[in-house]
Amino acid sequence: MEALLNTGSTIDEGRLAKGGNKYSEDYKLECAVCWMCAEDYASLGCPDKVAVTSRDGRYTIAVYSKVTESVRSGHVFIPRSIWANVVVEPDTFSTGSPRYKGSPVMVEPTNEEVLSAEEIVLKLYMGGE
Amino acid sequence: MVFKNIICPVCGGSCDDIQVELKDGKIDVQNACKMGNAKFQEVVSHHRILKPTIRENGKVKDVSWDEALEMAADILVNSKRPLFFLGSETSCEAQEVGLHMAEYLGGLADSNATICHGPTVMGIQESGMVGATAGQAKNRADMIVYWGVNALESMPRHMSKYGVFPRGYWTKRGRFDRTMVTVDPRVTPTAVASDLHLQLNPNSDYELLSALFTILNGREPHPSVEEITGIPISVMKQTVEMMKESNYVSIYVGLGVSSSYGKHRNIEIALNFVKEMNNYTKCNIGALRGHCNVAGFNQIASYLYGYPFGLDFGKGYPRYNPGEYTTVDVLREKDVDAAFVMSADLVNHIPADSAKYLAEIPMICLDIAPCPSTTAADVVLPGVIDAMECDGTFYRLDNVPVYFEPFTDSPFPETKSNEDTLKQLFAKIKAKKEA
Repeated sequence: MEALLNTGSTIDEGRLAKGGNKYSEDYKLECAVCWMCAEDYASLGCPDKVAVTSRDGRYTIAVYSKVTESVRSGHVFIPRSIWANVVVEPDTFSTGSPRYKGSPVMVEPTNEEVLSAEEIVLKLYMGGE
Repeated sequence: MVFKNIICPVCGGSCDDIQVELKDGKIDVQNACKMGNAKFQEVVSHHRILKPTIRENGKVKDVSWDEALEMAADILVNSKRPLFFLGSETSCEAQEVGLHMAEYLGGLADSNATICHGPTVMGIQESGMVGATAGQAKNRADMIVYWGVNALESMPRHMSKYGVFPRGYWTKRGRFDRTMVTVDPRVTPTAVASDLHLQLNPNSDYELLSALFTILNGREPHPSVEEITGIPISVMKQTVEMMKESNYVSIYVGLGVSSSYGKHRNIEIALNFVKEMNNYTKCNIGALRGHCNVAGFNQIASYLYGYPFGLDFGKGYPRYNPGEYTTVDVLREKDVDAAFVMSADLVNHIPADSAKYLAEIPMICLDIAPCPSTTAADVVLPGVIDAMECDGTFYRLDNVPVYFEPFTDSPFPETKSNEDTLKQLFAKIKAKKEA
């Protein structure tokens, strides 16, 4: 499914980040989550987890799925965090700021493991060091 | 002992009414929001970074302060083009030392604005801003518009302290004297608390603002704007009428405007709309700045070097060109060869291409708790918590400077503050360069 990715704060994302708990299970359960409407969730086959892929197909991240009435069909939301930023478009349109809002992504069901923030750094950014 | 009127160092709200009691290794915090309380608990947390570390042959080991500063200085002195990311959860005084270091080494200096309200600042440079302090909005505004911002979750006390609920001089009944409008593609808690929610389609802020501008000028917008924005023209007209009939409209914009497609042009047209609205009623606009002292970096960088963020000292004098000298871009284009990241978790908050390169190059990180940036860093320097363990200056969301005083001391005998740590590092850099 093609979708526009919106990212942003949630109060518990803020509480856990400001409290220095980015490597906690709670942070993963709060932030590694893709919010979508019931219609899109059903069209994907009601998966527990989804793989979100960047428009250029270079980066994919597995996150939990969550049904919400707060977004419309074709739009998904991931709390601002390392999971969301793996697939956020890096182009800044000559402003310095990437597209944290409205990045085009692909969303598909997956059985891949949801990585922790530390695992993303070690495996994806540091090449398995 | 109970300490009163402590400044909170979490978001741009800079709440100045925090009450703190430190007792038996525990901290009791009153008046702070969930985020603020979590940050105050860092003073006594078990995961606080208390020792400097370095990465050697892939292994992380504890070292003395002097060894860590030596290695940090070596990395920066040997770099051809270092990036100084001077984060916002620290004082202007520390940021100032970082800016001078970047100038001395011919590197780049940037801060959280670059991945936050940088496009807002660019929009202001394009068209100027009808601004006001948060106190003005509190005392006068009878209509509040949150555009592209979920204030309840990104600056939780904004609505109760400045925006919607407080009783002001001309708004004595608080919430009952104010109309609240939210413009957001999501039904956020802020939208739920509003009198009117315009649930526009993502990336259509510019079109919606253009249509409002057209209506304000007495013209009919093109019918296609309904499909593009998802908002009926009748609702747009109602919104403009509500604004014109108000005594004072205060608009707060968030990343929903500055980070969506259109970027600084969205802000530019919003600012022009506000100027035009002042022909009908009093109207101001401001950015809801999510990071603590992010406004402070813009202020002191502009004061010292003429530009608000994304400064390049490569030619020996400051240059500014967002998209070329800004953090995400220089990392994506592999245009720097070392980085100093202070009081910001940069690896967590930038896109994968940029984060991956940042993890590849030598990086020094100054922070208080383990996070993706400290994991990827080659040198980690423990941070001192501003407004809790040392004094200094923040700039609030409305660019009002706020002097803060601590209620406890730095836990490190080697340093009094992040400013002190940076001064020690700068002294080592100068000694190495001049030798």
